[in-house]
Amino acid sequence: MNHTTKLPDHRSERVRSGAAIAASAPGRTIKRRRPASTQWAAWGFLAPVTVYLVLFYAYPLYRNLDLSLRDYTVRSFVQGDAPFTGLANYRRIFDDPTFAPALLHTAVFTVVCLVFQYAIGLALAVFFHQNFRLSATLRALFLVPWLLPLIVSASTWSWMLNSESGVVDAVLHAVGIAPVNWLTSPSWSLTSVIIANVWIGVPFNLVVLYSGLQSIPASLYEAAAIDGANTWQRFWRVTFPLLRPVSAITLLLGLIYTLKVFDIIWIMTKGGPADSSTTFATWSYQLGFGNLLPAFGPGAAVGNLLVIAALVFGLVHVRVQRKQALS
Amino acid sequence: MNGHRKRGRVKTTIGVVLTAVMLFPVYWMLNVSLTRDQDMRKSPPDLLPLHGTLAGYRTVLAEQLPYLATSLVIGVGTVALTVALAAPAGYALAKLRPRGGGVLGFVLLAAQMIPGIIMAMGFYAIYLQLGLLQSVPGLIVADSTLAVPFAVLIFTAFMSGIPGELLQAATTDGAGTVRTFWSIVLPISRNAVVTVSLFAFLWSWSDFVFASTLVNGGAHEPITLGIYHYIGNNNQQWNAIMATAVVASLPAAVILVLAQRYVAAGVTAGAVKD
Amino acid sequence: MNTTSRQRRLTAAAVTVAALAITATACSSGSGGGDAKSAGSGTYTVWDPYPQFDKTSDWAKLVDQCGTKAGVKVKRTAFDTSDLGNKTLLAAQQGNSPDVLIVDNPVVSTLAEAGVLTTTADNKLDTSKADPNLLAAGQTGGKTYGTPIGANTLALYYNKDVLKAAGVDIASVKGWTSLTAALAKVKKAGKKGITFSAIGTEEGSFQFLPWLWGSGAKLTELDSQQAVSALTLWKDWLKEGYAPNSVLNNTQTTSWQEFASGDYAFSENGTWQLANAKKAGFGYGVLPIPAAAGGSAAAPTGGEFVTIPVQKDTGRYATSQKLVTCLTSGDNLYNTDTTLSYVAPTSEVQDKQVAANPELKPWVDAVKAAKGRTSDDLGTKYPKISEQMWKAVQSALSGSKSPKDALSEAQSAAK
Repeated sequence: MNHTTKLPDHRSERVRSGAAIAASAPGRTIKRRRPASTQWAAWGFLAPVTVYLVLFYAYPLYRNLDLSLRDYTVRSFVQGDAPFTGLANYRRIFDDPTFAPALLHTAVFTVVCLVFQYAIGLALAVFFHQNFRLSATLRALFLVPWLLPLIVSASTWSWMLNSESGVVDAVLHAVGIAPVNWLTSPSWSLTSVIIANVWIGVPFNLVVLYSGLQSIPASLYEAAAIDGANTWQRFWRVTFPLLRPVSAITLLLGLIYTLKVFDIIWIMTKGGPADSSTTFATWSYQLGFGNLLPAFGPGAAVGNLLVIAALVFGLVHVRVQRKQALS
Repeated sequence: MNGHRKRGRVKTTIGVVLTAVMLFPVYWMLNVSLTRDQDMRKSPPDLLPLHGTLAGYRTVLAEQLPYLATSLVIGVGTVALTVALAAPAGYALAKLRPRGGGVLGFVLLAAQMIPGIIMAMGFYAIYLQLGLLQSVPGLIVADSTLAVPFAVLIFTAFMSGIPGELLQAATTDGAGTVRTFWSIVLPISRNAVVTVSLFAFLWSWSDFVFASTLVNGGAHEPITLGIYHYIGNNNQQWNAIMATAVVASLPAAVILVLAQRYVAAGVTAGAVKD
Repeated sequence: MNTTSRQRRLTAAAVTVAALAITATACSSGSGGGDAKSAGSGTYTVWDPYPQFDKTSDWAKLVDQCGTKAGVKVKRTAFDTSDLGNKTLLAAQQGNSPDVLIVDNPVVSTLAEAGVLTTTADNKLDTSKADPNLLAAGQTGGKTYGTPIGANTLALYYNKDVLKAAGVDIASVKGWTSLTAALAKVKKAGKKGITFSAIGTEEGSFQFLPWLWGSGAKLTELDSQQAVSALTLWKDWLKEGYAPNSVLNNTQTTSWQEFASGDYAFSENGTWQLANAKKAGFGYGVLPIPAAAGGSAAAPTGGEFVTIPVQKDTGRYATSQKLVTCLTSGDNLYNTDTTLSYVAPTSEVQDKQVAANPELKPWVDAVKAAKGRTSDDLGTKYPKISEQMWKAVQSALSGSKSPKDALSEAQSAAK
């Protein structure tokens, strides 16, 4: 009974709201206000994820914030009676001599890794897009680095880059170049961890960019070829612009994951020697867990700085996306 | 015709060379797994394990198989949970557009930034209260946090590309939102489901932080903890460690090669691709 | 059309099912730590840093046997040793501490400071038989927080074949100058000199301490003349090529692997490598680490302590104490220390070890002369000093600072 009477209202409501929106915002075809019933359905679909987020992310985030705003000693960490000290931990890390190098290294590490991972991933995606024999199998094999636990990949790179018994130096020696102290020299340690991280990050970029390439219709390429465009022009005028949304999300996610990178650097160089490969992520771990007397407050403060940095970039991404959607 | 085939062969060769360069560290891992203890730090190192030993593999095959099974169960469980949570959410954010959906998307981005060890500490506290410590379902839920935010992003991006006409047609035919989702959207999003499953499986397979904090000492431990059997308090058995990694990678590699056929089409648009 | 209400019913059902599922899992896997621990008998948890010992090992069987003797069931969990301190702090914060905790000795003072461990006054543990220099690592503020399960320390292993080929008589190595001269001869003969571990973790500090103490310096004065001379010794070795550059990243295991390749004359390593030394395939010997001007340098003590963490139910201490006594009693101690390649902490078991294996005699002597890192009431000051010390070693050896500058900076940071 109820349902039948609801029906006409339901439909007319939708028509009314649709008409209202159409009247008020002629240029905007993207955002359409949905009727209340769809809102309920939408939130019903979102309910599990929202509950999940609140249960499992809100509590650790709150704990991290709490850790950074109080003065935690080992005793008060266990007993739970740490005094509130406001921003004292943040001030402490700003004044720490490791802050500036860590900031610089984090910026360099992130930018260089992103650039190389993206460029190499894109080049490989374009290359494998050409569907020659074995291309599918080879593309799958490229994902193998991902299967290895990070402790194994990082250890393998450590072995390969060892100054005494590493194969990289052995090959360099055979070619006549002087051996490099990859992991033990302050000038090379950051480069070594960047190389290892790029190696680990290429598969992710390859997969996502490749699937983006798949969605570009072949007809566009044919049309461009008919118009006389060569391969390079086809790439820059057709492929690259159409890949922009996929690239944007790849770079954003890549940024977040690279900011978080810790295992590789820790296992390969422990952030050293002499803090030459320390980034915020390793510094945060070192303060909180990497020594015999944990300093949880400053460690959490550094961790929160990373979260804030990621949020800022997330906002930038949303802004850029909104602008693109409107244009 | 001939020129085309020759070009194809050249490309295949280049592809093989590139893959070989990329996989060289994996080969090195294999090499170390077959090296004797006294040759571990030979300078210069042997490119081929000529004086190899199978001791590492013998140890691993005798001890690590249960861990592999547990990792497999956890991997599959994580995939199921991730897709179950993220697909409806992606659909809602992409097509149903609720108020506050943008905020949720942003929160998901921020959620990925929390360092793993902080998440692990939070889970430890929660699970201790719920009695879920050292349980496989608990670890599955924890591992899913590695993949869910990313999965929601992927599903949202993919499902926004589904043409509205398809959904309109379904609604006109009398299908409710849930029915539309189940019968129309999900089958079309098969490629996104496979992509998300791949990432979720791989990330949970190589997870260590959650495993070490939440199931250490339990009846069932994943392979990442199994490796620590060879990292004693004073001595590390590197050939066994690398052998574990090799053995652990094999089933996942097989799954990868089989699944790559599906990880082909659009993450973003192109709903009716296949 | 019943879209709306059907929607709502379905989603409500879905959420309820999810909630029920979570609750069901919570109830079914009932390994909750809280319940089992409140009873006087029941399951007692033992945490140790020996993941290399699985269920079939002698150590695991010993733990079970001690449990049976005390009339309780024992659940043993092994952790990575560098992680165990943090895991214990986390567990203690959540009220989930183990009943018996075996942990690396420099961590004991941190845990004691955090209020995680009971003193011998609380748990009635008898520590009278342990050697005082070994027990000191677990004592702060006049209270004792546990008993050592065994000790190990550092010495110089040498490769007899390499030394013979280079024409070096090991008896001539008496102090730093003679050691460096021997290294020069080995290098001239085409082999490599010495390998050790200078990594930026506690292991690096551990390996540097014999040289620091051997120069006459103290941990509380890192910038003294003598300390600078110790760091300069290492730095010069690297410069001259007597020690490889890889020491900056070497763990003690990696350093041992370099020595085991047969190219090195000396390796600074510990008691636990004895079993590996026998497998090495060349003639080896052991020499105490020389002090600067002659004689043996004091070496730091490694090895774990058996402790009893604080519990809400103090009635559990009686049984925990029985477990610990069983684990550290004469015969059991002998078996455990033989498996771990440790030197026993009591003189009677030490005598037994030497009687069974005379090769252990120099190690037993070394352990008797060794010092705890947290002794001299340094307690929780030690971790801070240690971190600055390994940072200074890394800076100096990698060339970013001179030994003098590195140590002055370390001393001011450690204050």
